[in-house]
Amino acid sequence: MTDDAIRAGISVAIAVEARKVVSSRVFGWTTGILVVGLTALVLGLLAAADAGDARVLARLGPLADAHGWDLLIGVAAQILAAGGFGACGIFVAWIYGREFSDGTVAGLFALPVRRSSIAIGKLVVYLVWAAAVALVLTVLLGLLGLCAGLSETDPDGLGELLRIPLLTMLTALVAVPAGWIASLARSVLAGIAATIVLIIVAQVCAILGVGPWIPLVAPALWAIDPTAVPWPALTVVLVVPVVFGAATAFTWARMQLDR
Amino acid sequence: MPEPRIVLQGVRREFRGGAGVHGVDLAVDPGEIHALVGLNGAGKTTLMRLMLGMLRPDLGEVRIDGVRIEDVGSTGWAGVGHLVEQALAYGELDVRDNLRLAARLHGASRRDAMAMADSAIEELDLSRYADVRARRLSLGNRQRLGLAAALQHDPTLIVLDEPTNALDPAGVILLREAIVRRAAAGAGVLVSSHHLDEVARIADRISVMNDGRLIGSLDPNAVDLERAFFSLVHADDAARRAA
Repeated sequence: MTDDAIRAGISVAIAVEARKVVSSRVFGWTTGILVVGLTALVLGLLAAADAGDARVLARLGPLADAHGWDLLIGVAAQILAAGGFGACGIFVAWIYGREFSDGTVAGLFALPVRRSSIAIGKLVVYLVWAAAVALVLTVLLGLLGLCAGLSETDPDGLGELLRIPLLTMLTALVAVPAGWIASLARSVLAGIAATIVLIIVAQVCAILGVGPWIPLVAPALWAIDPTAVPWPALTVVLVVPVVFGAATAFTWARMQLDR
Repeated sequence: MPEPRIVLQGVRREFRGGAGVHGVDLAVDPGEIHALVGLNGAGKTTLMRLMLGMLRPDLGEVRIDGVRIEDVGSTGWAGVGHLVEQALAYGELDVRDNLRLAARLHGASRRDAMAMADSAIEELDLSRYADVRARRLSLGNRQRLGLAAALQHDPTLIVLDEPTNALDPAGVILLREAIVRRAAAGAGVLVSSHHLDEVARIADRISVMNDGRLIGSLDPNAVDLERAFFSLVHADDAARRAA
């Protein structure tokens, strides 16, 4: 197959996958729960902290002493590192695993569009979704801060807001292995199980403060304490989608309907 | 003599326990409707999966229009239509959108895909359901959708596994006409079925499969196809038991 044909195939795959995702209930519910849930949780936690709730202040740890944008974004980042990872993992596991649970995978054979192109198309659509979620979360949290008057009380802290889109994308990138597991096991549930395991590993490592150079752990660690993770360590996160995206494409290319 | 649309030479694929396909030679010529009949578990679906790259053979080779299946490019695959197992139908999309996406995946441009989908909806009498989501379709209409997706791009090689499953009599007639029309235009068609009478109406050739092997053929014009079929199968079973 020529390079042009492969490029054309990927382009078709992206268009097809985007149409499927946008029409699906999973897309609406995952996005809604992530965006609305995170915003509501941030509001609730900040209100409780403001009221001096001892349990919430204890849970916030060092953040309990923070103020302004630092507090708002710090709380949002901690929730995003765990909850966002869960949402991303579930979504990417569904994007790949649904073809097996819906029984549509046989229809993806014997086509001019390669199965590896379809796998890449799915990954692109997932990353575009993550970018859109990052944008919406940033705008919502920005509005929340403005409504709370942070533009006047803490005008210099506005830059903290930029942590949200970066953390959202980093979280989405490290969740890509869930799509590979779903493809390998041919099961959405397997991908979700992998997501849960990855969340636990990342959170435990983050709490223990180990592994700023471990791609899976770096975003969660960075969410807790941005100074704990050097910038080059964050860029290493890019290895995850590259390696597991390639592994997923390979898995789809070599797939046989033998089980 | 024109190149067969598909040729299988010595194709073998065995699963744990001995099931599978054990050395099959088969060809489907342009314009031919070739029927594959056999009992459940005879290996028909496995054979079709091997033809479509869903399985790789342990031995032997598959050629589509003379090209080894590993080397078939996008143009070659654009000329293949199939329905093996479940339809390529996504529950969240309506019939029209499902067909448009299937057409795109079969190499059609955005504009051609729209025209193809409209034409297929008409051919398989799906107009009433064009805007209905696939998850709300009956089993029979879902099957019609799958057949429309397999046939709408006018493939030159058509592979259909039990295509009349769940179809009502009107659907069976529509399918029969759609297949005959495409064969008349030069497509090679391989269709598996349990319904010997149905197969006899359209097939030029009927091959009988048993225990992963092609064991003979039936004359589509024979009076008692059922008796001939079981004679072949029982004779093959007896020969294998004796061996």
